[in-house]
Amino acid sequence: MTIYHFKYLSCAGREVETGFIAAFWFLLISALTVPLLLGVGALFRPKQKKVGHSSIAYECGELPVGSAWVRFNVRFYVVAIIFIIFDVELAALFPCLVLYKDAVISGNAALIFCEIFLFVGLLLAGLVYCWVHGDLEWVKGLAIKSGKNG
Amino acid sequence: MTTGLKIVLLLAELLCVSSAILVTFHPNILHAAVALLFAFLGVAVMFVYAGADFIAGVQVIVYVGGVTVLVLFAVMLTHWLYKVTLRDVRKKLIVPIVLLVILLVPAVYKSLVELASSSQNIAPERVAEFAGSAKTALIGQALLGNYLLPFEAITILLLGALVGAVGLARPK
Amino acid sequence: MANSALFAHSLQDWIGIGPLWVWAAVSAVVILYAIALPFAGIATYVERKVSADMQDRFGPNRVGPFGILQFIADFVKMLAKQDFIPQGADRILFSLAPILVLAGACAAFAVLPLSKYFLGADMNIGILYALAVTTLIAPGLLLGSWASQNKWSLLGGLRAAAQIISYEIPVALSIFPAILISGTLQIGQIVETQGWVWSAQAGTDYHFWNAFHNPFCFLAMFLLFVGGLAETNRIPFDLPEAESELVSGFSTEFSGMRFGLYALAEFVDIFVMSSIVVALYLGGWQLPFINIDQLSDSIPTLLVAFIQLGCFLVKVFMLVFVVMWLRWTLPRLRVDQLMAACWKGLVPLALVNLLGTAVWMWAFNGRSIAQLVLGPMVN
Repeated sequence: MTIYHFKYLSCAGREVETGFIAAFWFLLISALTVPLLLGVGALFRPKQKKVGHSSIAYECGELPVGSAWVRFNVRFYVVAIIFIIFDVELAALFPCLVLYKDAVISGNAALIFCEIFLFVGLLLAGLVYCWVHGDLEWVKGLAIKSGKNG
Repeated sequence: MTTGLKIVLLLAELLCVSSAILVTFHPNILHAAVALLFAFLGVAVMFVYAGADFIAGVQVIVYVGGVTVLVLFAVMLTHWLYKVTLRDVRKKLIVPIVLLVILLVPAVYKSLVELASSSQNIAPERVAEFAGSAKTALIGQALLGNYLLPFEAITILLLGALVGAVGLARPK
Repeated sequence: MANSALFAHSLQDWIGIGPLWVWAAVSAVVILYAIALPFAGIATYVERKVSADMQDRFGPNRVGPFGILQFIADFVKMLAKQDFIPQGADRILFSLAPILVLAGACAAFAVLPLSKYFLGADMNIGILYALAVTTLIAPGLLLGSWASQNKWSLLGGLRAAAQIISYEIPVALSIFPAILISGTLQIGQIVETQGWVWSAQAGTDYHFWNAFHNPFCFLAMFLLFVGGLAETNRIPFDLPEAESELVSGFSTEFSGMRFGLYALAEFVDIFVMSSIVVALYLGGWQLPFINIDQLSDSIPTLLVAFIQLGCFLVKVFMLVFVVMWLRWTLPRLRVDQLMAACWKGLVPLALVNLLGTAVWMWAFNGRSIAQLVLGPMVN
């Protein structure tokens, strides 16, 4: 009996790559590993003791002052914004890169090369803009200070 | 085999819808943002089922890895997070529910019909005979062919978005 | 054994019966529980031993010969510790965080080319899938740290998330040269094109590992490795868990098995990052100067499969050793230096690298240094 290896399976009118079935199991099993190990541990570990200060968050022996949910600097947000824009541009570049090898061999790589050049140029332009305006400086005050001094 | 695939699809749809409901109605904004992460994951699974592998990957990279982190940062920057309750929304439920029913009934009907139909109409290929990352290459050909101008426009738009967003977030 | 794209297919052939989805599940269990998690466990022991050697100490030497069973003892200890959740913590997010982190790190194993025949799933979007699932780690660490109700944790988690997303850009950019050369996103194919003599429609010719394809690729390999160090929060990029300033950062409030899961996820992530470097630039399962696929005519396929597995693991372990070595070599970066290193160092370099590879490909018609030096092969 021959077993056929299907690259695709059809479901609800579309083809699904069989690799995703394996990927699904990998995700599910690795996610289930966490409750599995914690569950096994629950069989023979002691309950959490709530005596005195034992269940208070550890801040080097001092009792915590106020909530830990403090406001933080907006610079984390700026980094996330720059990341998303770069990420989207990179994602758009993937399909063009895949075509480049065959295009080079068949001798019509000019269009894709221009495309890559344009992308790299635009990303560099964005980067230089952020750089010049100091958005990449983590400690802005210090940077300005050292700029004035030196 | 296909029955199993359909069950997983149904589960993904369920995950998507239930997390979307959580996003809308959860009184804690941070938990709502986390539910958004799972809604994004569910959408990625649906892209896989639509045969759009590449888009599924990009969905996870951009939305789960980027937008969710951005939203989490934004929510955590909001002060008094746990005192904010979003309950006043519930007074204005009637119009959304009517809209929801109008939109949902045909969608559910259509998807049930599609799921029930036994679809074996695609000729299965032998593994040894397939030809590389065809779908991604097809997207590339489309981007460099018919859609070259919109593609270029989008790249420049993204540069504009970068400049604008960074400018807005800059402390005065 | 058939030339297959899934480990599950090989299993199906070998056993002969059973539906594919069952074998897919079996392959996931085998790869995760026989390779990924044991590796992470042993890596904790090896790291302590390597550290001890470098500091002229003994390291763990009591449990078993040379202390090799230390990680099992640690595992049992962690299982038996009380499950600590701090007062005022967000319990739902606190439980969710380790799941996201471990699933993000482990799921990437689906596309790691352990061998041509032990590949969980050789998907069309292979490398994109690996990049995609590992992005789950950043929100996981951020949520876990926020849920801990601890200021050190929060600072560590914020740093971790900012660092991981920043370094994803140079990592993706350093993957691009390999895609340019191979013309595919499928990891199995990327590895196959790095065989010494590889025949395909393009003709029989000398090929070699992508790192030696051209000088830009050689640099791209290092950029990818450095980016990977930052993605896995390893020294010199270990600010999120810097002991001397943040207690232990995002994992401060995680103890017992929950901490163990974080540690496991970190080592699994190191394995994944090293594997991606090996698969893209160091030839994956390929031996140097020998085409292993041509051997499969004369020796059993199963043996070839295990030679390939050994080859891949040796390369990965060497990179993992470098990671441990760097821990005792380099000082920790400051947070502003970290961001500057990414956005002002790695990103521009990686962009120039990408352009350089494209120019090389165009100028030399896609030929590598080996092909240019040795000339076309005569059959």
